[in-house]
Amino acid sequence: MNTTIASERNDHIIAWFAALAIAIHVLESAIPSPVPGIKIGLANVVTIVVLVQFGWRTAAWVSILRVLVGSLIIGSFLSPTFVLSLSGACASLIAIGLAYAIARQHLSALGYSVIAAVAHILAQFWTAYLLFIPHDALFHLLPILTTVAIVTGIVNGSLALAVQKRLKLLMSEAPNVDQQP
Amino acid sequence: MTRLDLLIIVVALAALPLLYWQLWGPNYRGTEVNILVGNQKAQRYSLLRDQTLAIRGKLGDSIIHIKNGSAAFIQSPCPNKQCIHSGWQHRNGDTTACLPNRITLSVVGDGFARFDSVNF
Repeated sequence: MNTTIASERNDHIIAWFAALAIAIHVLESAIPSPVPGIKIGLANVVTIVVLVQFGWRTAAWVSILRVLVGSLIIGSFLSPTFVLSLSGACASLIAIGLAYAIARQHLSALGYSVIAAVAHILAQFWTAYLLFIPHDALFHLLPILTTVAIVTGIVNGSLALAVQKRLKLLMSEAPNVDQQP
Repeated sequence: MTRLDLLIIVVALAALPLLYWQLWGPNYRGTEVNILVGNQKAQRYSLLRDQTLAIRGKLGDSIIHIKNGSAAFIQSPCPNKQCIHSGWQHRNGDTTACLPNRITLSVVGDGFARFDSVNF
């Protein structure tokens, strides 16, 4: 494993984007969900944008920090909600990490977002089944949850693409802000 | 959007009908029905044999039909008839109950989990 300490600039990037993701995460938790377990997960847009712009390590930091701090603010730290959230985030990170390593030239935010969303829901589902509700009837929910996950993956991916476009515009307007490789 | 993005979306969407078929389809049917009255030991009946059961509950007899691998409340002496309206239960894990009459009906299949749920 690479154990070099991240540069100060990278720390700032992580902090800024994590703060943004946490804000979105907390705001979204205030929106009531029509069905338990169904959520747009807008904070993941931030993770995907960071992944494409700054690489997997930075995205992993932002995502894990978002889950930890977001749960502390909402008050769900170490609760089942938090465990589900963390398992989903970890699975998404592993899945997009693999995709990033294998096919980063051929993928855009949209592809990453769909991969992340599907990995997220499958991990959450299995965590829920193994830890909290080991009842076979839970499997009837899986097709619906996966359908919603794919849809939210496409929506979030499209949002991430739009954000990226604006971000590029911003960076081209301010030439002294150099982009991190 | 790249071509690989499109491929991923298409594969994901194509896998969906398979998932629906697997988990909502005919091979997810239960094989037995568990009928629980009050706090007595559950009685098991096979879903493969069509029959009509009269189960004595707190208020009186509830009539349960087993037909074509499904089970349903047909008659119950409860005020709201929620149990009857919930209809035929056939999937592994499907559960309905007549709470006033203290009767619970749940479909079980192969490899049924030992716990209904775990609460914290």
